[in-house]
Amino acid sequence: MASSVSSQQDHQVLVEANSSARILSLNRPKQLNALSFQMISRLLELFLAYEEDPNVKLVILKGKGRAFCAGGDVAALVRDIRGDDWRAGAKFFLKEFTLNYLMAAYSKPQVSILNGIVMGGGAGASVHGRFRVATENSVFAMPETALGLFPDVGASYFLSRLPGFFGEYVGLTGSRLDGAEMLACGLATHFVPSAKLAMLEAALCIVDSSDPVIISSIIDQYCEQPSLKEQSVYKRLDVIDRCFSQKTVEEIISALERELVHKMDVWISTTIQTLKKASPTSLKISLRSIREGRLQGVGQCLVREYRMVCHVMRGEVSKDFFEGCRAILLDKDKNPKWEPSKLELVTDSRVDRYFSKMNTEEWEDLKLPTRSKHKLPLYAIAKL
Amino acid sequence: MKEKKNEEEHPSFSMDRAFQRTKILTNHLLQSSPSSPAQIPSLSSNACLDYSPPELSEGYAFDIKEMRQLLDGHHVADRDWLFGMMMQSKLFNPRVRGGKVFVSPDYNQSMEQQREMTWKRIVYLLERGVFKGWLTEKGEEAEMRKFAYFEAVGLFDHSIAIKLGVHFFLWGGAIQFFGTKHHHDKWLRDTENYLIKGCFAMTELGHGSNVRGIETVTTYDSNTGEFVINTPCESAQKYWIGGAANHATHTIVFSQLNINGTNQGVHAFIAQIRDAVGNVCPNIRIADCGHKIGLNGVDNGRIWFDNVRVPRENLLNSVADVSADGKYLSSIKDPDQRFAAFLAPLTAGRVNIAVSAVYQSKVGLAIAIRYALTRRAFSVKPNEPEVLLLDYPSHQRRLVPLLAKTYAMSFAANYLKMLYVKRTPQSNKTIHVVSSSFKAVFTWNNMQILQECREACGGQGLKTENRVGHLKGEHDVQSTFEGDNNILMQQVSKALFAEYVAAQKKNKAFKGLGLEHMNKPCPVIPSQLTSATLRCSQFQMDALCLRERDLLKCFVLDVSQHQAKGESKEHAFIMSYQLAEDLSRAFSDRAIFQKFVEAEATLAAGSLKDVLGMLRSLYALICIEDVAFLRYGYLSVDNAAAVRREITKVCSELRPHALALVSSFGIPDAFLSPVAFNWIDANSWSSVQH
Repeated sequence: MASSVSSQQDHQVLVEANSSARILSLNRPKQLNALSFQMISRLLELFLAYEEDPNVKLVILKGKGRAFCAGGDVAALVRDIRGDDWRAGAKFFLKEFTLNYLMAAYSKPQVSILNGIVMGGGAGASVHGRFRVATENSVFAMPETALGLFPDVGASYFLSRLPGFFGEYVGLTGSRLDGAEMLACGLATHFVPSAKLAMLEAALCIVDSSDPVIISSIIDQYCEQPSLKEQSVYKRLDVIDRCFSQKTVEEIISALERELVHKMDVWISTTIQTLKKASPTSLKISLRSIREGRLQGVGQCLVREYRMVCHVMRGEVSKDFFEGCRAILLDKDKNPKWEPSKLELVTDSRVDRYFSKMNTEEWEDLKLPTRSKHKLPLYAIAKL
Repeated sequence: MKEKKNEEEHPSFSMDRAFQRTKILTNHLLQSSPSSPAQIPSLSSNACLDYSPPELSEGYAFDIKEMRQLLDGHHVADRDWLFGMMMQSKLFNPRVRGGKVFVSPDYNQSMEQQREMTWKRIVYLLERGVFKGWLTEKGEEAEMRKFAYFEAVGLFDHSIAIKLGVHFFLWGGAIQFFGTKHHHDKWLRDTENYLIKGCFAMTELGHGSNVRGIETVTTYDSNTGEFVINTPCESAQKYWIGGAANHATHTIVFSQLNINGTNQGVHAFIAQIRDAVGNVCPNIRIADCGHKIGLNGVDNGRIWFDNVRVPRENLLNSVADVSADGKYLSSIKDPDQRFAAFLAPLTAGRVNIAVSAVYQSKVGLAIAIRYALTRRAFSVKPNEPEVLLLDYPSHQRRLVPLLAKTYAMSFAANYLKMLYVKRTPQSNKTIHVVSSSFKAVFTWNNMQILQECREACGGQGLKTENRVGHLKGEHDVQSTFEGDNNILMQQVSKALFAEYVAAQKKNKAFKGLGLEHMNKPCPVIPSQLTSATLRCSQFQMDALCLRERDLLKCFVLDVSQHQAKGESKEHAFIMSYQLAEDLSRAFSDRAIFQKFVEAEATLAAGSLKDVLGMLRSLYALICIEDVAFLRYGYLSVDNAAAVRREITKVCSELRPHALALVSSFGIPDAFLSPVAFNWIDANSWSSVQH
C-alpha cells in the first residue's frame, strides 16, 4: 500500500539518469504539470540528493505535454484550506519556497527546458536556476493578482531585476510573454527551437561538467535569435517605465490613463482594464513586494513572501484568494467579488499587515536550508 | 617590501607560502584541459582563497527590519521606492561587478560631463514625480518625506544632493522664508517644476562665515522703482555659488542695503542671471570655480554684478521693505534680530548636512565591516586558516566603536529632524544650537569614520569604485559649508555661556538645551569603576553631565576673569577658545547620548533592546575615554584604564552582531560597492574580459 502510494507520487516526477546529467520530467500533463505537494517534496528530495552525489554534474528540468508547469496546484490547496486549515496551505508554500531557495543557491547548474506554459510556481521552479531555455512554444505569466494572490515563489527577486520597471508590469498585470520576450527581458537565458530540443538534451547528457561556461557554450550551439513580434510589449518599455515606476498602484493607473489622453492605444487601455479587474489588495501587496524585493537577496525575498502567503492563506486581512479561486478555478464565473473592492480602500496599514510576522502560536518564519556546506558557484553567491 | 619583512620575522609564514604556492601550481598543472578549445579555462579557486558570503556564516539575533525602521525613523517604503527608481535607470550608471549590480556616478568623467549627468538625473527624478510638493506642500508629513527622499538621493551621490539642496532648500527656502505671498505665488511652483533654476549667492571671496561683512552693495533708484546691485571690488565677487557656473537662471543675492546713505544691513534680493536658453544676462559676469577635490557634478561659480537693476518687488520683504518712494520700513527694529531672521534657511541646510553625514558613515561602515567579515590575513599558527579581519580584537576596536557612534548619531539626527519640522518661534534658539552642534560633530565624525573605513579596506579602499575612499573627498566640504564647524561650535559655547549667565542673573533654574541637569546636585564618580557601573546608563549620563557642567563653569569663570582685566566679552571669548572647544564637545556628546537613551527607552525588552544597550554603553565609553576626562581630572588614571578595558570587552560582545548591525542601515547592496561583496569574483580575469 505504502509502496504503491509512493510509486504513484514518484510517477509525478520522472527521473532519467544519463551519465552525469539527471533529467527530471514533471509528469501531470492533464493538470498542465501543476505542482502538487508530492511533486515539490520529491523535487526537493532529488535536488538535495544530487548535491551530495559527485556523479551528478547537471540537472535538467522539463515538463511532459504542452506545459512546463502551470504553477502550484492551487485548486487542491483551496480545497484543503476550505476545511479551515490554513496551516495546510502554509505547509505547501513552506516546502515550495524551500525548493525555490535551494534552486537559487544550488551548487550545480540547473537547465530548465521551458517548452510550453510557465506560470507562477512553474516560474519559481525554473527562473532561479542557472539556465532557462525558451522555445517558440513558451508562454510565461505570473497571473496571481487575478487570483487574489501575489507573485510568490521568489518572484519579488527575479521580477524586480528585469530591465526598468518591466517586472512591475509583468507582476501586476499577469501579462503573457512568449519565448522571444522571455529571452529579451532575461527570464530566459537561451532560445532553442523545439525541434532541436532532443539534440540539445543529448548533448547536455554527455557534457560531464558543472562549469557554467561550458554548459552555456553547448546550449549556444542550438540557439537561435528569435525576433520580437510586431505587437510585443517589450517594444513598449518606455511607456512601461514611465507608468510602472510610479510609487503607488493608483498612480500607475493614472499615469496609464494620462498616456491615453494624447493618443488612443488598445494595449494601454487593455492594461488598465486588467489592472482594474485584479484584486486591489493583491495589486498593492504585489507592488510593495516587488519594490522590497529589488533591494533584498533571494533568501530575504522568500522569507518575506512566506510571511505574506501565510497571511493570505489565513484570510484575516482579506479573503480575496478564496474568492479568486472560486471565480476563476472552481465556479469559473470569472467574476470575483473583491473585498475591499477598491484600491483606495486598501490602506497602507492593511498592506503593512501582510509584511508582519504572524502573531499566532507555533508559527515560524521560513527557515532557509543551510548553504554553507557546499561550494556555491559565483552566480549563486551573488543572489544571497 | 612589507611582505619580505614579515617572512624574515616569521619563518613559518614563508614555509606556509611555499606550501600554498606549490599547491596552487600543482592544481594548475593537473587541471584538465577544457572540452572546447575556444574556452579560456575559468581559474579554479580550489586551492586559492574562497569568498564566503557573510550571510551564510553570520546570523541575525534581532529583526533587522525593525532596527532599520528605528534608524531611518520614517518613510522607509518611500526611500526604497526611490532607491529602486535609481537602480533601474541607465542614467545612474549601473555596473555589474561580481555578479551584482552597483550604481554610482562615473567619477572618471570630466567635470563638464559629471555636471551634465547630474542634471540629467535630476530631470529623470523630476519626471518621475519625486519632487512633487517639495515647495508647494506644507506640513510635517510633507517635510519628513522630503527629508527621506533627500537622504536616499544623497546615498547615490553628493553632487546630486547638493544640486537639489541649492535649488530647493536655499533658493526655494529663501523665497519661502524671506519672501511674502506674491513671491511665493510667483516663484515656488515654477521652482518645483524646474521652469526656473535657482541658486543662492551669499558667500563672497572675502567673506564666508561672517555674512554681515559682505561687500556687495544695493541702492534704490526711486525714479525707476528699481534696486541697483553692485559688486564694488574683487573681494565682493560671489564665490562657490552652486549652480551659477552652468545651470541657474536666477539667484538670491545677499547684499548690504544702502538707503539714502544709510546702511540697513544685509538683505536678500532676487536677480535673474541667465535667460531661458542659458545666455548670461547683461551686467552679470560669471566665472567657474573650477575643478574641486569632490562634488565635481556641481557647477560652482563666481558672480560679479555690474549695477544690475531689479524691480522693487524683488526684495524679499518678509522682515523689511522699501516703499516706492524709497523709505526703509521694517517690523524688526533691532538689526541683530533682523540679521538672525535672514539665516533661517541655513538651519534647514545644517539639518540636511548633519543627517547626510550619518548616512555616509553608514555606507563606509557597511562596506568596511562586510569586507572585514570576508577578508582574512595571517594565520596564528602554521597551516591554520588565516584569521578573519574582524576576528582581530584590534580590528574590532577600530570599527565597532564607530558603529556605536553612527547609531548614536542616527538617533540624534532623527531628533534634530523632528525638532526642525515641529519648529515654533520659541524653539528657534534650540534649533540653532542643536543643529550647529550636530552639524559640526556629525561631519567631523563622518570624515574620521570614512578614513578609518578606507584604511580598514586596505588597498581596495583606494579604488574609486569601492566608494569608501572617494566619499572622503566628496564630503570634506561638509565641515565648511553652511557654517564652518569651528565657528558653529564656538556659537554653541557662546549660547551655553548666555544660558548660564541668564540663569545666574535671574537666579532661575536652567531650562532647555538639555541643561536641566545643572539644577541637580553635582554627580559623583565612584572611586573604583566596575564593569557593571560602566555599563549603567545612569553612570554614563552622570559622567557626561559632570564634564559639561564643570566645563561650562570653567568657561564662564575664564571669560569673566578676562573681562575683569578690562577686556571686552568678544575678546574674552577669543582668548578662552580651548575651554570653549572642550565645552561644545561636552555639550554635543551629552546631547547625542541623551537621544540614544531616549530611543532605547521606547523599546520593549528583547534582543533588539539588548544590542542597542551594548551600543549605547560603547558610545558612552568612547566619549568618556576622551582625553578631557583626564585633563580636567573627572577620571582617575585607574578609572580611565577601566574604561578602556571595558571598551574592548563591549567590542568583542558586539562582534557577532556586526553584520546585522550594518544590514540594519538599510542601504541597498547596489549603493555599497564591490569590495563589500564578492571581491574575488569582481576582480577575476573574466571580469576584465568585457
